[in-house]
Amino acid sequence: MKMYRMNFLIMNKDLKWKMESYGKVLQVFFLNLCMLSVNCIAAEVKGVVQLNYVKADEQPSWFDKDTGILAYSKDSANVQQALVELSDNFASGLSYVVVANYYQLGEQNLGISQAQISYKPLSNSKFRWRARAGFFYPKLSLENVDTGWLSPFTYTQSAVNSWVGEELRTAGLELTLFSPGRARNSPISWEFHASLFKANDPLGTLISWRGFALHDRQSLNNDRVPFAPYPSVIQTDRIFHPDYVEPFHELDGNIGFYLGTHIEYYKQSTLRYYYYDNQADPLAVSQERLYAWRTKFHSLAVQHKFNGNTRILGQWLTGSSVMGDRFVFIDFDAWYVMLSHKHKDHRISLRFDKFKVAEDDIFPWDPNNSDGQGYTLAWRYDLDKNWQIGVEQHINKNAADIRATLGQKVEINQQQSLAVLQYRW
Amino acid sequence: MNRFLIVFLLVSHVVQSKEISVSLLTKSDQELANVVVYFTPKQKQGLAQTHEMAIMDQVDTQFSPHILAIQKDTQVRFPNSDSIKHHVYSFSPAKTFELQLYKELQADPLLFSNLGSVELGCNIHDWMLGYIFVVDTPYFGKTDIKGNLTLDLPDGEYQLDVWHPRIKDKLSSLSRQLTLPRESEIKINLKSALLPDVNQYENVSDEFSDYE
Repeated sequence: MKMYRMNFLIMNKDLKWKMESYGKVLQVFFLNLCMLSVNCIAAEVKGVVQLNYVKADEQPSWFDKDTGILAYSKDSANVQQALVELSDNFASGLSYVVVANYYQLGEQNLGISQAQISYKPLSNSKFRWRARAGFFYPKLSLENVDTGWLSPFTYTQSAVNSWVGEELRTAGLELTLFSPGRARNSPISWEFHASLFKANDPLGTLISWRGFALHDRQSLNNDRVPFAPYPSVIQTDRIFHPDYVEPFHELDGNIGFYLGTHIEYYKQSTLRYYYYDNQADPLAVSQERLYAWRTKFHSLAVQHKFNGNTRILGQWLTGSSVMGDRFVFIDFDAWYVMLSHKHKDHRISLRFDKFKVAEDDIFPWDPNNSDGQGYTLAWRYDLDKNWQIGVEQHINKNAADIRATLGQKVEINQQQSLAVLQYRW
Repeated sequence: MNRFLIVFLLVSHVVQSKEISVSLLTKSDQELANVVVYFTPKQKQGLAQTHEMAIMDQVDTQFSPHILAIQKDTQVRFPNSDSIKHHVYSFSPAKTFELQLYKELQADPLLFSNLGSVELGCNIHDWMLGYIFVVDTPYFGKTDIKGNLTLDLPDGEYQLDVWHPRIKDKLSSLSRQLTLPRESEIKINLKSALLPDVNQYENVSDEFSDYE
């Protein structure tokens, strides 16, 4: 009896500690929200919650320290997304947006995926400027245009933007010069973006070792993304790197940059080009043995709306990443093309993805070649302005040479079915 | 239009009235819709002042209507029928203002007391463009898609003017003096080509606003 009580007390203490730590996180989170919204009676609060039932592939996911490139490892019901977006104006043209997320998958379950302050002065000039600072996404995706950088098209996002969501974020400043076409009586609008940032040095780790993946899990402010314990990566006589990455670290003090341009023909056709370089020093390594990866890429995204209901969009990403003294050097290429059609309250989207990572480095025992292609078909139906249901089927064929170091088959076929209930407000 | 009918009915007890139609053609003989046509009487005493509230709505991230004509001293309400926020502004001398339009929150109406055009923009959605045109008469309207407008006016002397953001002709050159009931059909032909038509911005809207 005494022992039970002891056990109970220990469990209770453990639980209490856990509850307290969650409670503290929640407290800080809500305190911050309150501080932000104080004196701002009309702060806008948007939210999205997605609950799913997934029929998972048999190859377990990187979230379970395995080598599958889909998010789920078991047939199960899950909280797929839960986010709150809070925004308001401090003053004319000065506004903030904070997106807080809960994720069931992954290491950090509660946190911030975006937080930024923007200044866009009122202007009737033909040429205008705006700026933002904080922790945000470069606007290189035409896929992630829903609240909280979600995709309104498919649940499983393209390989390109799955990677952007898990490893890339701008902790810095962005300045934009732009000219709305309508202010010039022209069908063409344009924008130029330039940004300086820090704290994205490990960018490239995941696609080098795990390869591209397809999912909708965005990394949070202090997140850690796991992957399989590849011997060539984790062994002390090999690269000696942990079997995870914490993407938002500053390791070398270098300032990264990106440049981007958007060109739009009316609201009908859009082109976005970005050049991104995190300027990381590939020899910089933290005590945790996380490396800075010098990652550079070009991203080109296009979209054309045939009418209000049908659109085609796509994106191509090509670049390279190096860590250490060419311990790992990869060239990567990924693209997708998607057709999406809306009929009344139904939206059907079909996407084709192709992705490839090719290595050219000094360690033959750390094979980094990977590639794959996949199809994603989603149907989403708005029951009303708050509720939506949807189903999605994804299939892919992918290969990663590094699986051989774990005694797994290099090339596998994967598939995943999702049924999703969404509530938004 | 109901407004004009009421005004007309009120004044028709004492004054004879006359139906007058205006048609406007571009330089290339095309019809032009949404042209504000207004008749300012020489005799301004006793003119009716509307007390109705005018509406400039935001629907699918566009101003609706694209052009709103109002009589001087009319109040305009700016509802927001979208599920997202707007930040409407004007730098026009006739009315300079800015309004934060939160979803599901009503902003106070604004009074438009100065004559002329007020160009509206939205600081969040840069493609949004709308106009409020303020006139000093209760006798006004907009041309239909065939470029025509028909109004009932009390007999008397008037100055007829037109306005549209795409008209490049000097507006005073399009102005006419007329006496009713002597004239009933007026044709206006523009001499200069129109400014480019960029109303295709209104054709393809997007339910998704871009991420920030």
